[in-house]
Amino acid sequence: MNATVTNDETPLMTKDLAALHTPAPPQEPLLQVRGVTLRYNTPEYLVTATYKVSFDLNRGDRLVLLGPSGCGKSTLLKAIGGHIRPAEGEILLHGKAITRPGTDRGMVFQEFDQLLPWKTALENIVFAIRNTRRTTRAEVVDEAGTLLKKVNLGGFEHSYPHSLSGGMKQRVAIARCLAVHSAIILMDEPFASLDALTRRKMQEDLLALWSESRFTMLFVTHSVEEALTLGSRVIILSSRPGQVSAEFDIDITAHNELSNPVLIRLRERISRILFKDAPEYSI
Amino acid sequence: MQAPSAQISLPGPAESSLNTGVPEPLPRTTKKLSATKRLFLISPVRKALLLAALAIFWQVYAEMLNNELVLPTFTSTVTAFLRSCLDGELTNNIFNSLKILCVAYSMGIVFAGLLTTLAVTTRIGTDLLELCTGMFNLLPAIALLPLALLWFGLGYASIIFVMVHSVIWPLSLNIYAGFTGVSPTLRMVGRGYGLSGPGFIFKILVPAAFPHILTGLKIGWAFSWRTLIAAELVFGTSSGGGGIGWFIFEKKNQLEIAELFSGLMAIIIIGVLVENFFFKTLENRTIQKWGMKL
Repeated sequence: MNATVTNDETPLMTKDLAALHTPAPPQEPLLQVRGVTLRYNTPEYLVTATYKVSFDLNRGDRLVLLGPSGCGKSTLLKAIGGHIRPAEGEILLHGKAITRPGTDRGMVFQEFDQLLPWKTALENIVFAIRNTRRTTRAEVVDEAGTLLKKVNLGGFEHSYPHSLSGGMKQRVAIARCLAVHSAIILMDEPFASLDALTRRKMQEDLLALWSESRFTMLFVTHSVEEALTLGSRVIILSSRPGQVSAEFDIDITAHNELSNPVLIRLRERISRILFKDAPEYSI
Repeated sequence: MQAPSAQISLPGPAESSLNTGVPEPLPRTTKKLSATKRLFLISPVRKALLLAALAIFWQVYAEMLNNELVLPTFTSTVTAFLRSCLDGELTNNIFNSLKILCVAYSMGIVFAGLLTTLAVTTRIGTDLLELCTGMFNLLPAIALLPLALLWFGLGYASIIFVMVHSVIWPLSLNIYAGFTGVSPTLRMVGRGYGLSGPGFIFKILVPAAFPHILTGLKIGWAFSWRTLIAAELVFGTSSGGGGIGWFIFEKKNQLEIAELFSGLMAIIIIGVLVENFFFKTLENRTIQKWGMKL
């Protein structure tokens, strides 16, 4: 059973839904991660971040990579972004190997300094669009303004990043990602540095954005709650070197309610898997 | 069962009812300061007063000394300054100095830009930059003047050579420090837009490193300005071509000490203007506005 939302009013959404319901021809997954081993150098060691990780990502998925700190999930995301080359295996997007960064993969980072500090919120989005597409400036400004309103930042168009709060900066970063119409949006713990209340609001808003435009999303987190809230699929990576230890489909509703008994049971299972190999600490 | 809140004693209405009667008038929280106190809180006002005090001290001391060849009075310096400005002698020299400064400063910026571009794109370029700045940054520009005179002869070329030398190393050092300090996240954002080469440098690295670049520009300006005056002065390098240094050199030879002082005054005024207006404005419009001040 798949995620269905019935109370659609906007024509955009119904169109998207129609596309969702027509039986799609058997197609290869949007992103294929095939036995990827990632290694990087520190001054003293050669660190193996992930070892032979494989998974697929389909169009419209909300795939969450869940794992303890240092399981190589961020490194994996950077590899998909094209910033790191796999030591072994391959990553295919549209069936073609990823060799370099590109506009078909938008990235939202955890760090607040991902916005260009010398550009206003609006100009940050305009810059993103103008570097990736050929359009007139007036059109781009219009589009950027609409996107800012979509992420609830109407009125902050001309604010510089330093005057925005952490949550607002992440909102701009998400809007900027949506602006370039990437095939996949890669999110590297974007809400990890936010306070609990803001994080919840951001998660809700992200889901609302997703049900509006159904982008494909790969989300990295170390929080079980966040994974269950946001994911339509969850992949659990073991700690270093990261390996896929379990995979779950969460096809309940578009907006997952954590109080759902199915999710509560799932959460317990995931916790057991995650903490099985965790070292024991004496308090 | 009692609610837990009942066990906590809170200042409730029962307590406040004890002190009944007319509420005591609150003391006034704000009181306007007197005009002189308010004036004294403004930093430029205090500095102007200090400046006036120094000028009076100079005037009184020079009057007591009564020797125009050692220390002309403040008033005679100011009149000499105005006179030489009005008859165009000083203004022409200032104009000549600024012209050379602009040429050499721009050349220094271009070379420093090329050098650092090379340094961030190739490893051998990095080594070259580190090696060169490590050696030449320690070499005072004016020490190269004899060599410059040997190679280029008397005239502007020699001055420009030593001035470019004075700008290029500190500026390169700062630009490079700024470039390497750009956060990996911002780099990934730029690469993610498919930027590389000059696009990446000018759209991401330069603005992101601008606080450091501005520092480099300021240091470069200060070095080149001092070098220019010194080079014009030593041996009268510009040899009649003009310049403030040459003006001072000439006035000393002619024993017109008030004019010599007015030349020094011009150097100070130009320095203040460039540092407090040009660079200050540039800073306010860029890194201050962007919240990137170091």
